[in-house]
Amino acid sequence: MKTPFKLHNIVKRYGEREVLHIDQLSIPAGKIYTILGPNGSGKSTLLRIMALLLVNDEGQLEVLGEKVTWEKRQLLKLRRQMSMVTQTSFMFQGSVYYNVAYGMRARKISSRKIRSRVGELLEMVGMAAYRDADARTLSGGERQKVALARALAVNPRVLFLDEPTSNIDVASAAEIEKYIRHINQEQRTTIIMVTHNLFQARRLADEIMFISEGRIIEQGPGESLFTQPQDERTAAFLRGETVY
Amino acid sequence: MEIIIQGLKEGFQLIWQMDAEIVDVTLLSLQVSLTALVLAALIGIPLGAALALRNFRGKHIILNTIYTLMGLPPVLAGLLVYLFLTSRGPLGQYELLFTPTAMVIAQVLLAAPIVCGLTARAVMALSQEVYDTAATLGASRRQASLTIMREARMGIVAALTTALGRVIAEVGAVMLVGGNIRWHTRVLTTSIVLETRMGNFSTAIAIGIILLVISFAINMLILSLEKRTFRYENTIQIT
Repeated sequence: MKTPFKLHNIVKRYGEREVLHIDQLSIPAGKIYTILGPNGSGKSTLLRIMALLLVNDEGQLEVLGEKVTWEKRQLLKLRRQMSMVTQTSFMFQGSVYYNVAYGMRARKISSRKIRSRVGELLEMVGMAAYRDADARTLSGGERQKVALARALAVNPRVLFLDEPTSNIDVASAAEIEKYIRHINQEQRTTIIMVTHNLFQARRLADEIMFISEGRIIEQGPGESLFTQPQDERTAAFLRGETVY
Repeated sequence: MEIIIQGLKEGFQLIWQMDAEIVDVTLLSLQVSLTALVLAALIGIPLGAALALRNFRGKHIILNTIYTLMGLPPVLAGLLVYLFLTSRGPLGQYELLFTPTAMVIAQVLLAAPIVCGLTARAVMALSQEVYDTAATLGASRRQASLTIMREARMGIVAALTTALGRVIAEVGAVMLVGGNIRWHTRVLTTSIVLETRMGNFSTAIAIGIILLVISFAINMLILSLEKRTFRYENTIQIT
């Protein structure tokens, strides 16, 4: 799988307002691909379309080698190869165990396998002691770790991260970043991350795309976009001039 | 005040003595109201969930109609059922008027909009994140819908307890379609009306107390089930 996502003339509108217009985009497999941009630039809209949570108004979307028809069975098949960690790390009512096991239960995996996989993942993110705790009483950082374990439990080919460390402290963010790098390197999982944190993008990304007002302004290898931005809007954003 | 104290004494006496007629009236009250509640839940929960989760033309008009029906006057509900079941009505051939079945039908008419409306509200109060999280973890539409219902369960239980409160205390509709026939369709609320009309105020209060005790016991049972089921439900801590 060379390109898990191919977008061609993708347009999304809310009423009359066009919030996203992507002419061409191919995302490489096995990399950490970061979507960078100011608030309201269309980052999350793009992520939600690729995660098959939002239907585009125009254009053609190709996910994991299949042209997306938005047909029920195809959606389920494709979604079962991806997972997502959102900004707020929403937790279902119930224990940490219930949350981490959710995706595996949906796939009707045996309880024995679920128990062992949940234990393994909670150990990995340092949350084994919280197995039976109420997931909604966890701190922001703990929730993010549980959300990451929950997303990894289903062995996704693609992992979406929507501002995964925006609500947590620096130490927890560093830990989350460590796991993200580990997952990408060990399992070759394609990671698509939305962030407006420049430093995080620079630390983690293999490739970066800069998006503004719903359009791709520039994309390329992580470091070069930071050192030699080709577009003045990207340069201004990197200088902190358009961070709003 | 004396009447009330006398009523209290008589009430506990009636409960203690297990008077045959009072037992019959109490059991019929429970049978009618609980059957109506189960039927209202079977109709109202799926309908409320569907209304909350689907978008279609006319959805707001239907929701508005259901919210209006939540305040349907019991006498009007009784009258409608009466007109359908009377010998000249469209369902007259089934001879259901003045039977417990007619009373159940009238109470379903009162309880179903409450269950449906409050279920819809409980589901609509949830954020998009519930569905998104379930979907991105690979839940099918059915699995995601069940998860949404699970997340809304506190609101659904509240809908059921509100509906139960409405039907168990209801008098106008059951009086009209049941006829308050001794040993046949007499329930606790219609007994209170009868005793009051006969001037037996203390007996009326006594039966009222039995009604309250039953309602208290059922709600107690629901609360204890709630505590067991909603082990992870958060309570707002005010310090």
